[in-house]
Amino acid sequence: MDDRDTPTNVPPGAPPDRPSEVERRREGADDRRVPTGERKSAAVRSAIRSELEGDAAAADAAAPVARERKKAPVVELRHVSLAFERPILEDISLIAHEGETIVLVGESGTGKSTALKLILRLLVPDRGKVLIDGEDITSLSFEEALTVRQKMGMVFQGAALFDSMTVFENVAYPLREHTDLNDDEIEGRVREKLQFVDLDPDRVMEQMPAELSGGMRKRVGIARGMANNPEIMLYDEPTSGLDPLTTGTITRLIMKLQRELGVTSVVVSHDIRSVFRMASKVALLHDQHITFFGTPEEMTASEDTYIRDFLGGL
Amino acid sequence: MVGQASRAVGAQPRPWSVRTAALGTGLALSGLDRTCTTSDRTRLPALIARLNDAAKSKVLTFQEYFVLAGKSIRFIFARPFYAQDVVQQMDEIGVKSLGIVLLTGLFTGMVLALQSSVQLKTFGATMYIGNLVAASMIRELGPVLAGLMVAGRVGSGIAAQLGSMRVTEQIDALNTLGTDPIKKLVTPRVLAALIMLPVLTIINDFIGIIGGNVIASFVVGLPSTQYWRTVWDQIASDGFTLRYIPNDFVQGLSKPFVFGGLIAITACYFGLGTTGGTEGVGQSTTRTVVMTSILILIVDYFITQLLLSLLAYG
Repeated sequence: MDDRDTPTNVPPGAPPDRPSEVERRREGADDRRVPTGERKSAAVRSAIRSELEGDAAAADAAAPVARERKKAPVVELRHVSLAFERPILEDISLIAHEGETIVLVGESGTGKSTALKLILRLLVPDRGKVLIDGEDITSLSFEEALTVRQKMGMVFQGAALFDSMTVFENVAYPLREHTDLNDDEIEGRVREKLQFVDLDPDRVMEQMPAELSGGMRKRVGIARGMANNPEIMLYDEPTSGLDPLTTGTITRLIMKLQRELGVTSVVVSHDIRSVFRMASKVALLHDQHITFFGTPEEMTASEDTYIRDFLGGL
Repeated sequence: MVGQASRAVGAQPRPWSVRTAALGTGLALSGLDRTCTTSDRTRLPALIARLNDAAKSKVLTFQEYFVLAGKSIRFIFARPFYAQDVVQQMDEIGVKSLGIVLLTGLFTGMVLALQSSVQLKTFGATMYIGNLVAASMIRELGPVLAGLMVAGRVGSGIAAQLGSMRVTEQIDALNTLGTDPIKKLVTPRVLAALIMLPVLTIINDFIGIIGGNVIASFVVGLPSTQYWRTVWDQIASDGFTLRYIPNDFVQGLSKPFVFGGLIAITACYFGLGTTGGTEGVGQSTTRTVVMTSILILIVDYFITQLLLSLLAYG
């Protein structure tokens, strides 16, 4: 299955390929976002609504705003340096615009996961800035950082499910923490998210994480990460340790999330095949620096010997 | 931990901030904002630099410990309250420790009565066994032994649980989901320990005195009424606080309160500071048990000293 419809390939405003599905998701996303507020401007909301209702005139009026937002940088690292025992990242700059999927690749230990932790502000850079939605998060207090993190969903390498809680409680956790939804609404949302990641809610909801397979844990991790409808999804090696079939499933899931919900994603991955399927842009980390940042096509066309070696098998 | 990071920096003299390293190792998830830059190290002779590092890391350790303690206690009074977690921890710390506390108390009381009967027989004063058992159990052995038992059972459990949550990135996941791990994990444990340790101590004291009663009746041949009268005489003879509260009770209940906080905070501190995978979890657990046991004995001395001078004894 070769569905390479990353945002760069989709012209702005093009009709979605599966309108009913998109419509349902967007409507859901839209009214869910209202209580938490201010995610999307009123103009963008009205644009989406009028698009769905087929109100062409209203859509046209709001379209420039939507297009402008489309270009807005959502995640940005500016000249970031970080060292512990040794320098890990030096003068790293990265930018992910709304709806893009940026994939970080590189050898083990080159600081890819560290970059994700910088975006989450689990780490603070020694120098440089990290911007989320244009806001510099490096100088935020711990409490403020907790709020910023609600914009993001993170899928950890080992899924990092809370092993003292059931699958349902895991996925419901961010909802219980940050929304006023009642129990029925939470259950509805958990079921919806589990279905989105192709899990049967009735079968898995009451299971403990230890009872699940690696691939299922990853999927529950994705469901938990997206439970609060974040605008940014971060994945730390989502396909590591999985068989090729499950790897394909997880890759398709990440693409589905990006395509149907328009989330911006930053993915750390080792799996070159899936990288090429889902990336809008690829960043190659080598010797503490980003030695390449561009589209997958540019990467394959590159004459650089290290990049050629890195892509080796292909 | 901080110590490791500082040592490593000694080998690699370059400007950086301790703050970043501490955040990286997770200890400063308390959100500490310390900027002890060590850039001037390069100008210092190696030995002094090393001493400087060692001293700084010690100070930082203390600072982190007390910040953790302060935050966890402050969060008892701040929303959101995790009541369910508190109840669960009270069950874990209190109810499930009941068995070992009962056994410890019973046999301690019995051996106290046995030993003192031998000693008192030489003076023909075996009717005072009750005094001895009551004073020792209520003032010292009850609180200290309950503390040591709980430190071994619960302290190690907390350190292992938080440690494995740390190494499987569940602590990072909590942070990512916008929850302060101190509020969610540390505060409920501290609160539960503060409540349950005095309760366990009361049970321990009581069962210990009953153990003494058994030995006094069956081995020494002292009537139970005589035994219980001497127990009460002892409590009354040590004076009262606020007219009605026996001084022995004040001493015997303020200690477990302090021990409870000490056990929970120390265990959480070592647990959250775990590095180095499963091996690190083992180390944190061992450190917790050793450190809490030593601290209990040291703090016990100082509380006794303080209370003896504050309360009007005799």
